[in-house]
Amino acid sequence: MSDAGDALMQIGESTAEAVMGVLQVFCPEEGQVTQGLVAAVPPGVHPMEGVPVPAVATGVSFVDGVHGGNVFVMTVKGARRLAASMMGAELPEDDAELTELDLSAMGEAMNQMMSAAAMATSKVLGKEVEIAPPEVQQFTDPAQATAAYDPTPHAVTAQFSILGEPCRLVLFIPNAFIVRMNRALSEMTTEYAEYEQGPLSPLVRDVPLRLWAELGRVRMPLAALVGLPVGAVVELDHEVDDPIDLYVDDMLFATGRLLVTDDSEWAVRIETVHGVPDNPRHSSPDSQSLTAGPTTTTQGD
Amino acid sequence: MARVLVVDDAAFMRKMVTDALTKGGHDVIGEAGNGAEAVDRWQELRPDLTTLDITMPEKDGLAALKEIISIDPAAKVIMCSALGQESKVLESIKLGAKDFVVKPFQADRVLDAVAKALA
Repeated sequence: MSDAGDALMQIGESTAEAVMGVLQVFCPEEGQVTQGLVAAVPPGVHPMEGVPVPAVATGVSFVDGVHGGNVFVMTVKGARRLAASMMGAELPEDDAELTELDLSAMGEAMNQMMSAAAMATSKVLGKEVEIAPPEVQQFTDPAQATAAYDPTPHAVTAQFSILGEPCRLVLFIPNAFIVRMNRALSEMTTEYAEYEQGPLSPLVRDVPLRLWAELGRVRMPLAALVGLPVGAVVELDHEVDDPIDLYVDDMLFATGRLLVTDDSEWAVRIETVHGVPDNPRHSSPDSQSLTAGPTTTTQGD
Repeated sequence: MARVLVVDDAAFMRKMVTDALTKGGHDVIGEAGNGAEAVDRWQELRPDLTTLDITMPEKDGLAALKEIISIDPAAKVIMCSALGQESKVLESIKLGAKDFVVKPFQADRVLDAVAKALA
């Protein structure tokens, strides 16, 4: 799974599923909410094109982790019916305007749906995704809807029917998001492939290991250590250009280069794999010494 | 019966929480729409219990919780927020929140949390 289309569909489907879960709490009766098609928006088409008006649109953006935003757009009538259902009130049949409380309910519905969606996304990316408070807008003309949101390189839409009214979830996805998504997906695929093909006995394949990268070390007597004030500079034994060491459970496993990823995270590109020595303890060059300076854990337990 | 301060940026959510608490025989003595307002209202009202949303403009619920607990370490606060914020749940409990209610919630869940916090 490595092209943008697969990543888009995966994120679209997991978001739609999370949104559906929350909608079913708001509208608990059978058939009140149904999910329609999830589809990638073709290039050159604005994902808000053709939304039924008058409409109310609620948008949230991700504040960090991944960059992007989601907009949930539904008819004014649908929004009033959803708000009524959330409050346990009778569903309105008329076409009156939205009250402040209806708008607030829409914002809250979006907040809850998108929090659930963010959790689903976090699971796929292996990284917590946080959302900003929702913003609610109303449109009486489809042109207002397309003008209100800048198109992104990629977008996915998911259709729903809520209490008999159509609505559309739009995921605005910039390139950075796809890069991250593809990497997460390909890492998962690679790990899985290696699991399948590796020479390891099935008994030990799931043994968790702690992997860390070491920038450098230093030896010092205890008295010097306890005397270190805040702001002191501790010099390490590695030059800036030296490769850094990668340890697996206290054993020097490989050396490589420290990199910064597109998402400003540290990563290590492996240059040399040392293999497994007869007595792993001896390969840790300085296992009795104090390790100063930051160590970067590149993969958790 | 407890005197409760309800904090959420969504008026709708304040109404939902207030309805649930009123039904359970509690007295909602004040509301706030963001974290800064929450701290002001808390100092002014000194409620028996506060329900606090996490994602809010200006000052979020965790910052407000921190300030309230620093004023009164025994303050009873229940966090009330949407899914997907596990690290925030942990952080709020560490900061001194008594419980955590996940939205969307049922009225009974709020009343249970309140009863437990007051016990």
